[in-house]
Amino acid sequence: MTQVLPGVQESAFPRKLALMAGIGFLIFAVFPLLFGEFQISFLGKLFLFGSLAIALDLVWGFTGILSFAQGVFFSLGGYAMGYYLKLNLTAGSSDYGGNLPEFMVSNGLEQLPWFIAPLQYFPIAMVAMVLVPAGFAYLIGWFIFTSRVSGVYITIISLAIASALNTFFVSQQAYTNGTNGLSDIAPLSFFGAKIPPIGLYWMCLVFTTAVLIGAWWLTKSNLGLILRSIKENEARVSFLGYNIASYKIFIWTLSAGIAGIAGGLFVALNQFISPVYMAVPFGTQVVIWVAIGGRGTLIGPLAAALILGQVQNYAEQITQDWQLIIGVLLLIVVLFIPNGLMSLVPKQFGQAKSPSKSNSSHSDAGYLQAQLVDWITPLQKLIKTTLTIVRNNRPRC
Amino acid sequence: MLNQLALTYLFAQNSGFQIVPIINQLISGVGIVGILLLTGLGLAITFGVMGIINLAHGEFIMLGAYVTVFMQELFDMDLLLTIPFAFLVTAVIGALIELTIIRRLHGRPLETLLATWGLSIVLRGVIKLLFTAQLKYVQSPSYLSGNLKLLTNEQGLPLISISHYRLFIIGIAIALFLITAYLLYGTSLGRKMRAVTQNRDMAKCLGINTSLVDMGTFAYGCGLAGIAGTVLSSLKSVSPPMGQDYLIDAWMVVVTGGVDKLIGTLAGAVLIGESNAIIAFLLSDPVARVIVLLAVIVIIRYRPEGLFTVQKRG
Repeated sequence: MTQVLPGVQESAFPRKLALMAGIGFLIFAVFPLLFGEFQISFLGKLFLFGSLAIALDLVWGFTGILSFAQGVFFSLGGYAMGYYLKLNLTAGSSDYGGNLPEFMVSNGLEQLPWFIAPLQYFPIAMVAMVLVPAGFAYLIGWFIFTSRVSGVYITIISLAIASALNTFFVSQQAYTNGTNGLSDIAPLSFFGAKIPPIGLYWMCLVFTTAVLIGAWWLTKSNLGLILRSIKENEARVSFLGYNIASYKIFIWTLSAGIAGIAGGLFVALNQFISPVYMAVPFGTQVVIWVAIGGRGTLIGPLAAALILGQVQNYAEQITQDWQLIIGVLLLIVVLFIPNGLMSLVPKQFGQAKSPSKSNSSHSDAGYLQAQLVDWITPLQKLIKTTLTIVRNNRPRC
Repeated sequence: MLNQLALTYLFAQNSGFQIVPIINQLISGVGIVGILLLTGLGLAITFGVMGIINLAHGEFIMLGAYVTVFMQELFDMDLLLTIPFAFLVTAVIGALIELTIIRRLHGRPLETLLATWGLSIVLRGVIKLLFTAQLKYVQSPSYLSGNLKLLTNEQGLPLISISHYRLFIIGIAIALFLITAYLLYGTSLGRKMRAVTQNRDMAKCLGINTSLVDMGTFAYGCGLAGIAGTVLSSLKSVSPPMGQDYLIDAWMVVVTGGVDKLIGTLAGAVLIGESNAIIAFLLSDPVARVIVLLAVIVIIRYRPEGLFTVQKRG
């Protein structure tokens, strides 16, 4: 069994990866000493986006389920945290009749709805932050994966889910404050002491490192091997006696749980959540990070989220057309570098690279060149034909 | 006379159950059906016939709308006259995209999906560069304004009415549907299109230029989306992200109806449009949308091949 794929044998302790991760952690750990508060909290958000991308990578890059609904789980966790902070702010200042948030009052609610009320207690909110998205994901996963629905249809279902939930949250003005979302919320505090932005940054950094290491451990384990096999050949794995649906449901639920925690931390840091993070464009953002960074690599999506996020922050001050650049980059990656930019990194740092070595021969420079030539040929043909037609039809004198 | 009779009949059972608003809602549902059919038709070609997961479909609708804006700004052209231009421009762009992108990802549906999604971002960005993000407005022809009154009360106020433009949309949608059906099932070109999807290698062996047929089919599907864009441009404002609104609905129509036969698209449009209208009447618009989307998910779960597809023996 261990001879089948090279991935398993490499599960000896990867010194290089540990070293690199350690160095990376140290570099980011000294950041708060160098930069201002705004920069730090921005970087913290990017870390959360990075862990969101890693969570999607587990589902897409390793198991082969492309989902645009990652933002939905992110926002569900975010709303759980958002309600907790909102209710604690209004509990402190009793301007709005008891502890009812102002948008509920203005929409005519008399008392806190029963499904929001428990979120004012910290332990319940923390549990809900993980369990609501994970439970929702479990329901969806159980519903979809136990059928014969194939990959592309699942993607379309995920689009429908994102669209439906976004519409729903926008329409329930009285409970969710519609498109405005939850803003003006209390800062996260720990036993009465307010956590400063640097503390939150540390939480994000530790959380993302934990997600990275956990995901790495998971993909190196036997479970990860089965997940990758499902991606390669679903029928064969099921012939071997594995229950594919339960593996898919597990990784889908786990990914949603990670997304939920990331969403909760994001709200604590950002002090704002709205249905924007639920809608398809944000889900697309996550997919783009994973695609550009490299499916099936864990560092790739994280690095893509960090770097693209930083670049976007500066680029949007200069140009209005950042999305166009991202779109072109995505097209180039899909057409010419199917394993993502991470596959262009030289092999010396290879441990951090794609565990599925089967395709890595594809993505060196020679392959890239061949792809380019291949791509240009039909264009050349077209131009040549047009030129001949034009030449033949030229009026003779 | 008939009108009066119908009125007395309707108001006789006025107690408790109101039938006029329901009929009204059903009629406005017909308007939605027209839009859905129009937007779904192009996708029925690119996805149904060719099997390409085209997430840039909404952007082709947007391109068609911008062709109309451009022609109206430059030549002050009538909306109806811009339809051929919208068809041609989007078809040519579609052909180029098939040649450069879609063809290269043949047989890899998830990659195609991702590439067309990237393409939709690029098209939106390019249009934003060319026309700015400002909302544009299209003049609908004056002879298509006004309402058709189906039923009036004693004071002459319309009880049930439908705007002429909605009727025009339905007319165009049905005309395009019939043309497409004829093209697919009645001409040798359509036979070639279907042959290439059913068995590419065999079609090639029989001397069909498969790559040309692929390009033509995709271009035709994109052209249909372009026409949809022109016709829909005067309903709302024209802006780069407008296609996104239509994309998911178009997908739901095609997936619900099934891609086996073109008639499935019509059935899907009628089903989604009318149920949307009825639920919106009973509850509210957003709730109707959520319920319809959830229903479509359930349909995909239990019948991924669509509701109106004859079950094939395995």
